[in-house]
Amino acid sequence: MSPTGEAAVGSDGPRLIGKATVETLTIGCIAQVIKDGEARRAEILSIKETKSGRQYYCNFDNFNKRLDEWVPVSRIDFDKPVEWPNPDKDKQKDDKKGKKTTAAVSKKQPSKKNSRRVSKREQSIASEDQTHPWSEFVENQQKNKKDAREKANASLEIGATAGIGPDEMEIDEDETPASAAKKESLTPFSREQEIEKLRTSGSMTQNPAEISRIRNISKVEFGRYVLFPWYFSPYPEVYGQEDSIYICEFCLSYFNDIKSFARHRHKCTLHHPPGNEIYRDDFVSFFEIDGRRQRTWCRNLCLLSKMFLDHKTLYYDVDPFLFYVMTTRDEKGCHLIGYFSKEKESTDGYNVACILTLPQYQRKGYGRLLIQFSYELSKIEGKLGSPEKPLSDLGLLSYRQYWSENIIDLLLKFGERDEPCTIEGIASHLAMTTQDVEHTLQALKMQVYHKGEHKIVIPEKLVAQREKSRAKQKRLIDPDRIQWKPPVFTASSRTWAW
Amino acid sequence: MATRKVRYKKLNPKTVLPIFREDQIDPSEYESLTNEAQIATGVEQAEENEYHLQAVLKSAGVAADQEIPVPPPQESTLNYDEFYSQKVSKTATYIRFSQTVEECIGCMYDMTEEDVVFLQSYNQKQAAQAQLSEDDFEKIMEVYEETAYIKTPFASIDQTVAGYDEMFQGLQELEKAKALMPHAKEIYEYWKSRRQALGNTPLHPTLKFETHAESDDMDPYVCFRRREVRQTRKTRARDVQSADKLKRLRKELEEGRQLVQAAHSRELLKAEMLKTDRAIFELRAQLKEQKIRLNIKADDEDLINQKKRKAAEAPTVQRPAPPAQLRMPGRPDVRPAETDLSLLADRLAEKENELRLDIEKKVQNHKDWNRNYLDLTRGPLSPVHGPRLDPNFRPAKTQYLMTPPASASSVSLDEPVPMDLDKPENLEPVVKFRGVAQDEASRANPPSYRRRIGRLNRLWIDRRGLPASPPREIDDEWTGRLLQDRWKYDQSSDDEDDMPTYEVDPFDTRALKFRSSIPPPPWLLHRGIPNPRALPPNQQQLHQQHPIPPHQLPPHTQAQLPVAKSPVKPTTGTGALA
Repeated sequence: MSPTGEAAVGSDGPRLIGKATVETLTIGCIAQVIKDGEARRAEILSIKETKSGRQYYCNFDNFNKRLDEWVPVSRIDFDKPVEWPNPDKDKQKDDKKGKKTTAAVSKKQPSKKNSRRVSKREQSIASEDQTHPWSEFVENQQKNKKDAREKANASLEIGATAGIGPDEMEIDEDETPASAAKKESLTPFSREQEIEKLRTSGSMTQNPAEISRIRNISKVEFGRYVLFPWYFSPYPEVYGQEDSIYICEFCLSYFNDIKSFARHRHKCTLHHPPGNEIYRDDFVSFFEIDGRRQRTWCRNLCLLSKMFLDHKTLYYDVDPFLFYVMTTRDEKGCHLIGYFSKEKESTDGYNVACILTLPQYQRKGYGRLLIQFSYELSKIEGKLGSPEKPLSDLGLLSYRQYWSENIIDLLLKFGERDEPCTIEGIASHLAMTTQDVEHTLQALKMQVYHKGEHKIVIPEKLVAQREKSRAKQKRLIDPDRIQWKPPVFTASSRTWAW
Repeated sequence: MATRKVRYKKLNPKTVLPIFREDQIDPSEYESLTNEAQIATGVEQAEENEYHLQAVLKSAGVAADQEIPVPPPQESTLNYDEFYSQKVSKTATYIRFSQTVEECIGCMYDMTEEDVVFLQSYNQKQAAQAQLSEDDFEKIMEVYEETAYIKTPFASIDQTVAGYDEMFQGLQELEKAKALMPHAKEIYEYWKSRRQALGNTPLHPTLKFETHAESDDMDPYVCFRRREVRQTRKTRARDVQSADKLKRLRKELEEGRQLVQAAHSRELLKAEMLKTDRAIFELRAQLKEQKIRLNIKADDEDLINQKKRKAAEAPTVQRPAPPAQLRMPGRPDVRPAETDLSLLADRLAEKENELRLDIEKKVQNHKDWNRNYLDLTRGPLSPVHGPRLDPNFRPAKTQYLMTPPASASSVSLDEPVPMDLDKPENLEPVVKFRGVAQDEASRANPPSYRRRIGRLNRLWIDRRGLPASPPREIDDEWTGRLLQDRWKYDQSSDDEDDMPTYEVDPFDTRALKFRSSIPPPPWLLHRGIPNPRALPPNQQQLHQQHPIPPHQLPPHTQAQLPVAKSPVKPTTGTGALA
């Protein structure tokens, strides 16, 4: 496969192609934009006027959204032709714009309706009447949508009970757990499905429909660091106009005014996450925080982490989650490194909902500690756990690394002792689900099918790599230091609390 | 999401997988085996093909240096120690903490730079002593914001502004209300103008929470919606249950309250008593002094503590029985210990008495209950009384001539009463001739016979109801032994009360005739028949009763007589064949 892969931007079939000028280049166009000295296809998502001239918010083809950026005119190659947005798409846009003006907010915010339509990048531009060139799923879905719309119209005409839309009914049908689980991974979410799923499962992640495509906060002062957010986060709307916002390192309160921030710091007495410490070694501490009891803090944490997690949603409140926060300690207090959230009761057996290491601590092995801790908790609970999907690219890599290292260690141990090895054995040893074990084995090309028999092969490369990483790796979670009992929530607290 | 092609049999997670090192397997073979299709990653489908991710995934196991680029963080230019000035020391134990953010922040209002400008200009107008500090300014602003939030929740929509008079109560509750009141009005005006400038919204930007379901749904800024509360099913039974629970709880709490109240009044009384005691003591002391002073020497009785009187009084006090469900075991008891002790002994005796009475009563009850009942279950196989016998059996009725059996009567005194072992008190001199259906038992159970055709056309006569009387006394040793031997198995255990008796009139001509037609058994012929006349009369009679050697009879109620093929027609009782 070529590194660029298939075009993900503007891939809904043929488009009008032609030259554009600074004046005619509009939102939705796909132009060649210089990124790191290389011209790349990029969709223009927004345009703004600054003192230094017009700037375009570009999403680069096959690059993660976190690399989206505002580019000046000079970086756009006007010699190359531009792909124009499709006409009916334009119409929609105009419609939305009409609505948008009434909202009278800063122009770079995506319109409300827009965010629905752009749930997936391919789909964002796909006109609904055209069949999708690639995927049957998309096609089916669009058909479904169309049918649903027709049904809805019919029911409206007949004057039937307007309360039950066909969409809702469809959701009910889809809700059989097995098929739903399958579908989840395969089909893009419909908006209704998405919300229904959020409501019933208590999930916090994956709401692609809601994701606002343009990041709103450009800069965050956080403790000793300045962070540059990757994604949109629903801080108060006016914060989008600030050059920088300030976030208190301990209570995570947010300010758009440096004086307010200073005043707050003057008063704030918190110097660690507001919960019970459940783990401490020389290096890090873990705190357990109940989303219901510490609503403000957990909301603040979610807002902060949303800036670095694409598939996190803040659609519903934090009550049904527990937050396990990893901190590092110095004389000022316990500084937030990262956290993972966990449903108080997960119907799907997830042991992690969202997981994040703050950017200033990334690539230092902290993510691995977080992951390990999540599995240690699962071991104490006596359950097999898995992170909630979808994973982000970084999340996938972290998990793959953790899984592969642990599985290789275990296999080597099994090999030495000549113990029989089963997928289930590995899973229960590491508190991982059997699917995760199998996926990892396959991803590492360790599981082979040979002469009618499944076998596991440990490639030398991986062993060598593991030796190397073990030499480098200094820190591990010491399970004996965990002072934790799985929290129990009464039926009433579950019924009434969320 | 790409799933791998199902080309081979599915892998059961329970199957044991052999583990190989790479060198243990043929490399070329391994290569060909491993180029499988893509594996599910769990990453959003649209992002799975992202350039950087694919690059890293491709290089997995090759080079660890591949990384996904992210916008890098920077060191802050702000002076960290200025903003984070507090230092904390490490706690020895794990931190336990439950305060919320709000509780840790203190005043919720934080001054903005605009406020600073205002405050400076405001303070310039004030006298040096009446300067308003930033903290106080924030406190006043907090009151305004909070009151506005409560009183005018829809301020941003209906543009109502909470009036100054509405703020008054909140201001009064401030710690330094008096000192701050002079500033309040002017700050209120400033606050109002700021609010107006922001479209009557809170001065601190807030998150957008849900307001209207329709419009909110697509708004990416609306966050942290409430989840729909799951309704518990309401039933009347559950209502009643919870009502009961509440009532019980209330009752228990009320009891507890009364207990506490009682304890309280008791303690008050005690205090009172102590006071009185003290007063008495003081008065006595005075008295003593007076006595010494006035030199009175007699009658010191008053000076002695009269505790004894109190003790004497105590036993007469009738204490009500303590309530049964009192939970407090250590309740103060004034009663002397002895009374309790003696009572305990009494009570034990009483209880025992009661128990005994109870048992006796029960025994009596049981007897009453069993009166007029016969326990038939004792004899496991008691014969059915009544006329309904086996249909094929006909009762053999006999009639007697009035000839008194004089010779027999003299000996019948010695004759054992055959089957009344269970009722020895019924031993009355029997004057009747045994073997006739005269007594009650035989009348109730008359001898009967049955004729039936057996295999090979044999004719059988079945008898039943004949009295069988075991011999008690044997005179002749040999016959005794013989008889004993014969009767050995014809007799069931002693306690069997309803031994069937076969009663036959030995002098009945037909019977005699019948008996004479029976050929003697071979063993009799062989051994020689013991002379019946040599037997004592009772034995003789017995023998006559059982013309067939008893050991040939089955030891049960029914005896079978094989009759030879000759069509001998035995006639049994007189009316038997009618």
